Amino acid sequence: MRAGMRAGMARSLSRHTLVWVLGSFVVVPLLYAVISGFKTTGDLTADPLGLPHPWKVSNYTGILSSGDFWRQIANSVLIAVATTLITVAVSALAAFAFARYAFRGREFFFTLFAAGLMFPPAVAVLPLFVLLRSFGLLDNPLGIILPQAAFALPITIIILRSFFRTIPAELEEAAIMDGCTRLGFFWRILLPMARPALGTVSVLAIVTSWNNFFLPLLVLADPKWQTIPVGIQQFQGQYSTNYALVIAYIVLAMVPAIAFYAVAERQLIGGLTAGATKG
Amino acid sequence: MGIPHLSRRSFLTAVSAGTVAITAAPLLAACGDGDSGGGGKVTVEWMDIATTEPSKTLYPQIAKAYEAAHPNVRIKLTNLENEAFKSKMTALTASGKLPDIFVTWGGGVLKQQIDAGLVKDVTSDGSAILGTMTPVSQKPYQFDGKTYAIPYDMGGVGFWYNKAHFEKAGIKDTPKTWTEYLDAVRKLKSAGITPIAVAGKDKWPEMYYWAYLAMRIGGLPALQQAEKANDFSGPAFVSAGQKLKELADLDPFQKGFQNAGYDTPGGQAATMGGGKAAMELMGQWAPAVEKDASGKDLGDDLGWFPFPSVEGGQGQATEVFGGGNGHALSKDAPKEAIDFLAFLMNMENEKKLVSSGAFMPVVKGAENELDKNRKLVADALNSSTGFQLYLDQAFPPAVGQEVNDSVAALIGGKKTPQQVTESVTKVAKSQ
Amino acid sequence: MTLSATTDDRPRHAARAPRRRGPRASTGERLRGWASSTWFLLPALLLFFFFVLIPIFVAFYTSFFRWGGFGWPEDFTGLGNYRKLADDPVFRGDLWRGLLIIVFSIAVQLPIALGAAVLLNQRMRGRAVYRAIFFAPYILSEVIAGVLFGIIFLPGSGLADKIVEDLPLLGDLAGRWFADPDTALPTLFAVMTWKYFGFHMMIYLAGLQGIPTEVLEAAAIDGAGPWRRFRSVTLPLLGPTLRISVFLSVIGSLQLFDLVWVTTTGGPTHSTETMAVTMFQFGFKRYQMGYAGAISVVMFLICLVFSLLYQRYALRRDLQGAVTNAGGRR
Repeated sequence: MRAGMRAGMARSLSRHTLVWVLGSFVVVPLLYAVISGFKTTGDLTADPLGLPHPWKVSNYTGILSSGDFWRQIANSVLIAVATTLITVAVSALAAFAFARYAFRGREFFFTLFAAGLMFPPAVAVLPLFVLLRSFGLLDNPLGIILPQAAFALPITIIILRSFFRTIPAELEEAAIMDGCTRLGFFWRILLPMARPALGTVSVLAIVTSWNNFFLPLLVLADPKWQTIPVGIQQFQGQYSTNYALVIAYIVLAMVPAIAFYAVAERQLIGGLTAGATKG
Repeated sequence: MGIPHLSRRSFLTAVSAGTVAITAAPLLAACGDGDSGGGGKVTVEWMDIATTEPSKTLYPQIAKAYEAAHPNVRIKLTNLENEAFKSKMTALTASGKLPDIFVTWGGGVLKQQIDAGLVKDVTSDGSAILGTMTPVSQKPYQFDGKTYAIPYDMGGVGFWYNKAHFEKAGIKDTPKTWTEYLDAVRKLKSAGITPIAVAGKDKWPEMYYWAYLAMRIGGLPALQQAEKANDFSGPAFVSAGQKLKELADLDPFQKGFQNAGYDTPGGQAATMGGGKAAMELMGQWAPAVEKDASGKDLGDDLGWFPFPSVEGGQGQATEVFGGGNGHALSKDAPKEAIDFLAFLMNMENEKKLVSSGAFMPVVKGAENELDKNRKLVADALNSSTGFQLYLDQAFPPAVGQEVNDSVAALIGGKKTPQQVTESVTKVAKSQ
Repeated sequence: MTLSATTDDRPRHAARAPRRRGPRASTGERLRGWASSTWFLLPALLLFFFFVLIPIFVAFYTSFFRWGGFGWPEDFTGLGNYRKLADDPVFRGDLWRGLLIIVFSIAVQLPIALGAAVLLNQRMRGRAVYRAIFFAPYILSEVIAGVLFGIIFLPGSGLADKIVEDLPLLGDLAGRWFADPDTALPTLFAVMTWKYFGFHMMIYLAGLQGIPTEVLEAAAIDGAGPWRRFRSVTLPLLGPTLRISVFLSVIGSLQLFDLVWVTTTGGPTHSTETMAVTMFQFGFKRYQMGYAGAISVVMFLICLVFSLLYQRYALRRDLQGAVTNAGGRR
């Protein structure tokens, strides 16, 4: 009995050790970033491991008081929200048709959308750029929003369709008997019921848009519309010799994502993993 | 885990309501300061590479002075690090919309932008200011008798070296030939000093070695002939690669040079400026960038010597490889842009820019402001018997990039001298 | 996963829907169905057509031209760009590195994720916190991760150098990391692991939760040790989840760009270059848009062929179960 207990303790100890090793692998770089942001570049070069002396808050406050940082945050938010709204609205309509209507070519169109999953955005960047140039959508947030929404369609439609299909057909029949139109049923009954699924796909669209780099890098040349990831790269170019400041910038850029994660952890994990396993 | 009391929808609603409030602010603000309509205020977009002192401070000062004298004009300056600037410019060029004022090195890259119809011809608009400048400084921007940029810097590439390190290694005289040069490298190594700082991530500083060697071995005509015929397979180029390989085999570069940028932290300029390497092959701006990137001043320890000649080579040690910078204007730049450039380069400002150590003179009569070392560069330029523009700017972008890539691969031991000439020729021929 | 979902579902679902509506579905009704479903579909179709399908077409079209990116492509070269691509050592290197990245992901990153998932699936103190921490890097953008690790691996003064400097075996790494062609790709792997293992761990955790404890208990009663229980019960039951995570890993590896671009831009001497980076270099540094278009097309075809084959041979048997599960979970 005692031997068993000791073995159990040893096991739990080694388990904790393993988790700690992994955990420090994840946390150390982040912690290093936060602390380094308080240093001068000279301090950082001379002693990357130590604590800052003195703590230089001006790296952070300087960035926070600059308009650029806030404008980039606002741009990222605007683009993420607009992308999400368009994606979800357009996909919900399509998913409704796919889930609830029988019409000729339904499987063809659905397969067409599903095939879009295999066309990674990275591949499309170049032709998209050419296309957006001829549409006059360069340096225009729509030049990011519309392609992002288009590439988010497949996964969103798939998730929503599978959810809509779980809602019994009897419900729709009853609603229509009560004098509801198709659209009325969709709007007043189906969508409210689909809230969890809508949450999932929204989270997915927001995060993808927030982190998108490749397309905005090319499309948003004008600083006026630059999003956070592009802004970070630009900032790094501008302050290439002052990398404590660059670190402070990325730490501040992490905050919105971490905050979103803290507030909506369950939706986020649910959304991202559901998106993945259904993609 | 999560927030149990707030339903998902209300959470998302709250998020979006908040975001609308945040995003509306800059949108409304953007309506206010737009340059359309009211008051006839003109904004001039200016994109530059002045991320290091002293131009980092001087440029905004001069722009402010100009704005004070011309209240209807706003000069909007964005500075980007060299490599970031080049990436951005390629994207902007592809998008067909360039900033009103932008930095150019001239040559094939500028030519491509001109051919795409994106650059303004300043021959007549800028004739007044161009007339005050030395002809050699305008050369890289002239095509078919027209001028497409106002120069602000002109110089040549040579070795900047740390006299203290050379002395410590027992090198009495600066090397005059390639053999002596390799000797010096060996001596520095055995004295425990890193002989050379180089930026392997940016690649163009490595290209300088190959280009200079090709010039010294084959002479300028060989290089010009190769460019015309799109054939770089001649013996001069192969041999340049072999000589460079000899150097690379001595392992003369700083630790981690293959991921080092030029003016980034821990990069080439910082290594040299911090006294951690004995020399670098670099243009006229080197002292300023060394100082800025390392935060230290080598002062009197810094010296300069021209690229050595190669025994048996056709080229003269008086032929200079280098270039300058100019400000070009986009096709649609407002007329205030050229007016501002004329102000930027007037004698008073030019003297400031030269004496601060930012640039080499392009205006006649500004040479007096030079310090000792840069005087050497200027003298080499003035007494030069031939001149070659940086290869990655002189050639069309595809060829220039291939030269940089291939030379970096050669130094990294991934390509033979033969393969370098083959791949450059292949790309040049397909242009 | 999805594609097969559609194909495999088809008979079941297509058969079901009309039957339910059976008695009332006259020709007129069906026509009206078409008309109104068109309205539902139209916005999605338009968006998809303009921003997904047309770009595919543009990539195909331009890939047959020598084109600098300005004006309209005119210099037709047929398969010239593809022939050049087949010969290009950098592109062939991209394929090889792509394969290495895939193999690494499957052989190292996914097992770490699986290990973490198994650990955290057990009852232990602070489990939720660990889980949240492991997942955190995934929600940060690649640019943030890239810039951060670029600074950590700076030769000479970075954190990584300071850590390994005095260690016996690893000391040799100091000053190399991203700077040496031999260590750059492994360094990139390390960053990728940091960024992505938490995500795969989350998928596995979801999968592990679906394994009934009774099965494991029964195995334990039959005398199976922990390792044996893991190998003979957990692993097979986790099969569908594992196959999906491999699939995502491969597709992600094939289109890797952001992280590479921010840390090394593909260097030193192409040692970390991927297909997407090469495409960017040619399209936007050298202005060879036609050639870059050919790279896009090849990337697309590789992804397409892989997806189809994988779905045909690896995912098919999971389908029925996985889809129903996924549907039921929500």
